[in-house]
Amino acid sequence: MASEEGWQMTLKAKSEVIRIGAEAIVSKLEWNGFKLVSKHRVPKPYRMPELDKWVRERRTLHEAKIISDLKKAGVPCPAVVLMDRDDSTLYIQFIEGSELKKALDELPPKLVESVARNLGEIVGRMHSNRIAHGDLTTSNILIDRNGKLYLIDFGLSAVTDDLEELAVDIHLLDRSLESAHHPLREKFMKNFLKGYSSIMGRDFTLRIIEKVKEIRRRGRYVEERRRRS
Amino acid sequence: MGKELLVLGIESTAHTLGFGIVSSEGRILANINYTYKPKEGGIHPREAAQHHSAIASTGIAEAFRQAGISPREVDGIAFSVGPGMGPCLRVGATIARTLALKLEKPLIAVNHGVAHIEIGRLVTGCKDPVVLYVAGGNTLITAYMDRRYRIFGETLDIAAGNCLDVFGIKAGIGPMPAPEEYGRRGRRFHPLPYKVKGMDVSFSGLLTAALRMLKEGVALEDLCLSITETVYSMLTETLERALAFTEKKEILLVGGLARSKRLKEMVDAMAELHGAGVYVVPPEYAGDNGAMIAWTGVLQLMAGQTTPIEQSRVRPRYRLDETDAAWREHGL
Repeated sequence: MASEEGWQMTLKAKSEVIRIGAEAIVSKLEWNGFKLVSKHRVPKPYRMPELDKWVRERRTLHEAKIISDLKKAGVPCPAVVLMDRDDSTLYIQFIEGSELKKALDELPPKLVESVARNLGEIVGRMHSNRIAHGDLTTSNILIDRNGKLYLIDFGLSAVTDDLEELAVDIHLLDRSLESAHHPLREKFMKNFLKGYSSIMGRDFTLRIIEKVKEIRRRGRYVEERRRRS
Repeated sequence: MGKELLVLGIESTAHTLGFGIVSSEGRILANINYTYKPKEGGIHPREAAQHHSAIASTGIAEAFRQAGISPREVDGIAFSVGPGMGPCLRVGATIARTLALKLEKPLIAVNHGVAHIEIGRLVTGCKDPVVLYVAGGNTLITAYMDRRYRIFGETLDIAAGNCLDVFGIKAGIGPMPAPEEYGRRGRRFHPLPYKVKGMDVSFSGLLTAALRMLKEGVALEDLCLSITETVYSMLTETLERALAFTEKKEILLVGGLARSKRLKEMVDAMAELHGAGVYVVPPEYAGDNGAMIAWTGVLQLMAGQTTPIEQSRVRPRYRLDETDAAWREHGL
């Protein structure tokens, strides 16, 4: 049956939109008994067509590559099953869970600590494989019913030897906590860094903390410079 | 509401010395601004401060004349406490302290960045926007959440306006809006580093690449098209992310680069996708001005946020998100 229909028709037939992100539309679908999500990078009418196509295609290819690298390294994230390059769409394993952004405020305090610590280990493992996520906010972390975490959305990730790119992950995570979960921020980051340090070691962790501070300061410096408006 | 309150606001963070008088009803009674223009190069803080001192007494008199009130009628004296250049800030602060003591009125220290947002909310009528603040020295995305204007995104290196200005100057056509105007005649788009990290952006690599391509002989018009399209797309994309993240329904564009037609066009197209409204601060209130300080002073006065003289030292590095925006909790 499935062979007659072709994979794309079958995939598209039963999809249900579950998340309209700023960049992509994520839909849930079933394909030969597998639960999948499709991540379609939608054209942006505000970008020039040439720039738009280039940005979307590059990010799709890149995300597929990073996910396969992360799977090899044992970092929990949903696997890519299929890729439709022309349509800038990835078909990815479905995870039963919710965004940490939504779940965090309802977690019992004790669990917040262990989740934060666990996230620190996961990010540490990712960083030890020279991969920076690039958009590590609490919207891009899933948590399932058993409290298991998954990283998603690697569209802005990079393979890098630059300490700064790795530090940006921690900076962004910290900022998303600061802006949306302000009361939990301090405790969360403390435990996150414990977990991170258990993978990356104390010296590296201290270095990256310094770098995060530097990024923050630099942002301030830019903001403090006189405007010419 | 009881009696209509009046506040005098003094702006002196950089090249502009401004005096504004605004009422608690949001009536702008006076907005008098003087801009120091250096003969060449950038702003020298000391020279700007001297300019401000020399023109100050004329400006205050002119503001009260325009408003048609006497100094005794104001209910508070507001001033820009930062961020900005120390010598310039001290001119405004000194005038404000003197007036507050002489007139026996409360002193109100205002954050300059917050004032840009608040005057924008007043004159455009938007209520709770995601704000894109883009100017020569500033690129940041902010929105009100939990008593503060939280910074959701900002540049990790140089400001967007700075990137385009430097490119234009080095290419020999001058700063903005020249690069955008030349870009309109561009035909071919060349990909440049498109660096978006979450809601943060980075422009220095893009500037370096564009300058290198210029040296290699790529047509200036094409490069102007590529650099402006890339910079604006990055800004619009990060703004879109912040809009999605905060789930707000209004966008406010603040700062000099908000005058760009092409950027406005892009932000409009993006906002339409999300059913959000776009508001742009009109030119007379987009640049630094006294009225924005006066209006923010009104809000703070109504929320009880006045400043004892001994705690009124200027704060050149005062960050937007360090201000307790208590008035927002009162629905102001």
